[in-house]
Amino acid sequence: MVKAESALATQKKYFDPKWLIMGVIIGFLVIFQVFPLLYLVVKSFFPQGSFSLSAFKRVYTYKMNWDALKTTLITASATMVFGIIIAFPLAWLVGRTNLIGKKFFRTLFVTTYMVPPYVGAMAWMRLLNPTVGTINVILMKIFHLESSPFNIYSIGGLIWVLTGFYFPYAFITISRAMEKMDPSLEEASRISGASPLKTLAKITLPLMLPSIVAAALLVFVTAGSCYGIPSIVGVPGQIHTVTTRIIDFVYIGTQEGLTDATTLAVFLMLIANIVLYVSTFPLAKKQFITVSGKSTRPNIVDLGRWRIPITLVVVIFAVIVVVIPFLTVATTSLTVNLGKPFSLENITMRYWERIFTRKAILSSAKNSVVSATLAATFGMVVTSMMAYLLVRTKAKGRKIPDFLITVGSGTPSVVIALALIMTMSGKFVINIYNTLSIMVIAYMIKYMLMGMRTVVSALSQISPSLEEAAQISGAGWFRRMKDVTFKLIAPSFVAGWFLIFMPCFYELTMSTLLYSTNTKTLGYELFTYQTYHSQQTASALATAILIMVIFVNWLLSRLTKGKFSV
Amino acid sequence: MANITIQNVHKAFGEVVVLEDFSAEFRDGEFVTLLGPSGCGKTTMLRMIAGFEKPTRGTIKIGDRVVTSPDTFVPPERRDIGMVFQSYAVWPHMTVYENVAYPLRIKRIDRDTIQQKVEAVLEIVHLAQYAKRIPSQLSGGQQQRVALARALVAEPQLLLLDEPLSNLDAKLRDSMRFEIKEIQKALGITVVFVTHDQIEAMTMSDRVVVIYKGIIQQVGKPSEIYRFPANQFVADFVGKINFLHAMIDGTKLLINGTDQSLAYRGPLSGSVVVGIRPENIRFDSKSNDLTGTLLSQFYLGDVNDCRIDIGGQVIRVIAEPSTFETHKEGDVVKLRVEEFTTFMDDSFDDHQKIIT
Repeated sequence: MVKAESALATQKKYFDPKWLIMGVIIGFLVIFQVFPLLYLVVKSFFPQGSFSLSAFKRVYTYKMNWDALKTTLITASATMVFGIIIAFPLAWLVGRTNLIGKKFFRTLFVTTYMVPPYVGAMAWMRLLNPTVGTINVILMKIFHLESSPFNIYSIGGLIWVLTGFYFPYAFITISRAMEKMDPSLEEASRISGASPLKTLAKITLPLMLPSIVAAALLVFVTAGSCYGIPSIVGVPGQIHTVTTRIIDFVYIGTQEGLTDATTLAVFLMLIANIVLYVSTFPLAKKQFITVSGKSTRPNIVDLGRWRIPITLVVVIFAVIVVVIPFLTVATTSLTVNLGKPFSLENITMRYWERIFTRKAILSSAKNSVVSATLAATFGMVVTSMMAYLLVRTKAKGRKIPDFLITVGSGTPSVVIALALIMTMSGKFVINIYNTLSIMVIAYMIKYMLMGMRTVVSALSQISPSLEEAAQISGAGWFRRMKDVTFKLIAPSFVAGWFLIFMPCFYELTMSTLLYSTNTKTLGYELFTYQTYHSQQTASALATAILIMVIFVNWLLSRLTKGKFSV
Repeated sequence: MANITIQNVHKAFGEVVVLEDFSAEFRDGEFVTLLGPSGCGKTTMLRMIAGFEKPTRGTIKIGDRVVTSPDTFVPPERRDIGMVFQSYAVWPHMTVYENVAYPLRIKRIDRDTIQQKVEAVLEIVHLAQYAKRIPSQLSGGQQQRVALARALVAEPQLLLLDEPLSNLDAKLRDSMRFEIKEIQKALGITVVFVTHDQIEAMTMSDRVVVIYKGIIQQVGKPSEIYRFPANQFVADFVGKINFLHAMIDGTKLLINGTDQSLAYRGPLSGSVVVGIRPENIRFDSKSNDLTGTLLSQFYLGDVNDCRIDIGGQVIRVIAEPSTFETHKEGDVVKLRVEEFTTFMDDSFDDHQKIIT
């Protein structure tokens, strides 16, 4: 007894504050992420308190739902295939050849990753609208066509827009893997007598295969769980996806509607997380082959006489996928009458004036800034601590928070929002529905992974002995974090902060489900203007967001000396 | 200054036992080296003294203070220890001065005293003119001295050195060896030094603890360890040695495969291994100790490095350089054995190591 007491006394004397902080954070994750998502799953199997598949049966016997499911699978698969077909050659050209302006192209394609996907939908809607779409009108004039050649409000249109905005996901994943690949593997093939093309086919491609698979599955999941694009270009043509169905069901507002939404959401969540989990297998297994400690300069393949033609193809691709949509949105924001061509008489600044003066927009912008700032700040606190737990301690289960954060990010936005609505509106003590808090929490669950990745990679590059040296010098945990560890990861911390801030700032999907009259956000505001009031105002907002994305990206690469952009 | 007492310290990571019932006492002001091949548990022992690892069981005392026991654990920052890490762990975002001043700042010592002490310790490690530099502007050896200065500045009772010389080039390693030893003598501080390099261990230590597979093999002065190794592992790990298999017959050691023998007085009997250091064998035409055939010889300037076949067992002899001229390969040579040790034959097989 006496011994136990003295042990307690010494333990208390040297109490380590980090465990308390980590405990609080893990508690937070359990309450606001694990519980809601689990509740959603349980609820879909036990709709009336007892096990039953009736909800599934009802939802999936309804034809419209089956169609939505089919559309989701078709569009996501097609986007995945096209995305990879575009992304791999691009990544190779940019990373391994003497393509003209490859650095510029890299930045360009990476920047599109940061652009909200609905911007593309807005632009292509203007360009390929079956009756007044600019491209359609021009093509009809040139070729004297009876009817317009393209209709954006179709499955094809949906795939087109999805591919244009999700191939950068694959491009980034594949480029990074290619940068990490030991170039001497390719050099060994060249010295053995293989041509550059043969080397590409026999060495580079097989070694890249795990990353390509991972990239493909990532595109599949993100395209399948996207809401912004199908709601803008799908819904007007009566084309529904699982995400738009879920939001419809929630808007219906009845108990039955919620149950149906839950059932669909659980399906989407399970598919997304299983696919993402599976995609880490080939990567983890093959990593030892592709990753080498040394970072040598890759040998550059000379494109020879194909250099200029290939560069031209890439330029045309960039113009179609990036320049035209962005310009369309920008010009739309300046156009008085959308029915008339863009000319000097048809230009106005009134929509730009409106977005900076109208009270409703400003208050939504303020809400977005506040909630994105809070999400980014708390998100970085959470992820830094969890990254520290993962990298620096030997605590049992230290990988669990990392896993939770990964699952959160893999879970479609609609599902996160739905889960929070069902559990955080007073049914279980906590009621934060209709507040900014629920928005901040939803954003954190969805976007914390970006912060986690940056901090984990920064921490694993710092030798633990730097911290131990401070400890042996007499510094307690807070002190050595402040003096050594935090100082050394500060650039990554800032980068991580922006990587969480940006997508939260223009977030649409979760905001659509979680907003209240006082907590409208910029994304939601933009969406309502686009669908109901004024496309020009929406375009002005989108353009403003675009400019901000480009600026933040530039700031980030300056801040971290090119280590982080995206 | 302090004694270090380690009692029955046992450390296992899961199933893997790293240290088994380690007990040792390091005296005040003593330079003790933990020597062993990589993975033997020496660094783990050092990190347990520092407090970075907790032993599975056992007690560690620094002076009269129990720092680790089943019901006490003093975290590293409260142990008053200086430590130099293998990677130096000099903070890249602080100047040399800030790095060295850090332990004093933690103790909230006034600015003037800090300056005085930092300048004094930088003087000792010959870095006085580099105070304002940042570490990336320093060479490896200089960074290492920054780490040493930082470990010494707070006048700790104990200094821990974790393979501090292993990242330096050969010349710098030589000079740092002497510098560290000089500083230790001047300050009279207790030092625990971890290395896998037997030359560092021999030249710097008052006592050496040889560790293998988590178990202490031998503790003793460098000369004791070298001349009277406790077992075949120690004999082989510290310095070079030939092992000849032999049988004991009364007062004779009969070398296997021959009718030659060496005189023996000792407690062992039966099948044994005779350990002879290459420099303890001399070419001597008047000697009757051993006779063999010269297989090969290499002239190295200061010595003649020979391989000699004795009844099927090959030994290495480091002979006078002049013997290279007087002997040729294939000659039958007579050898005088000046000193040898005898071990029970425990089928330890590292015989190849010395020959190649």
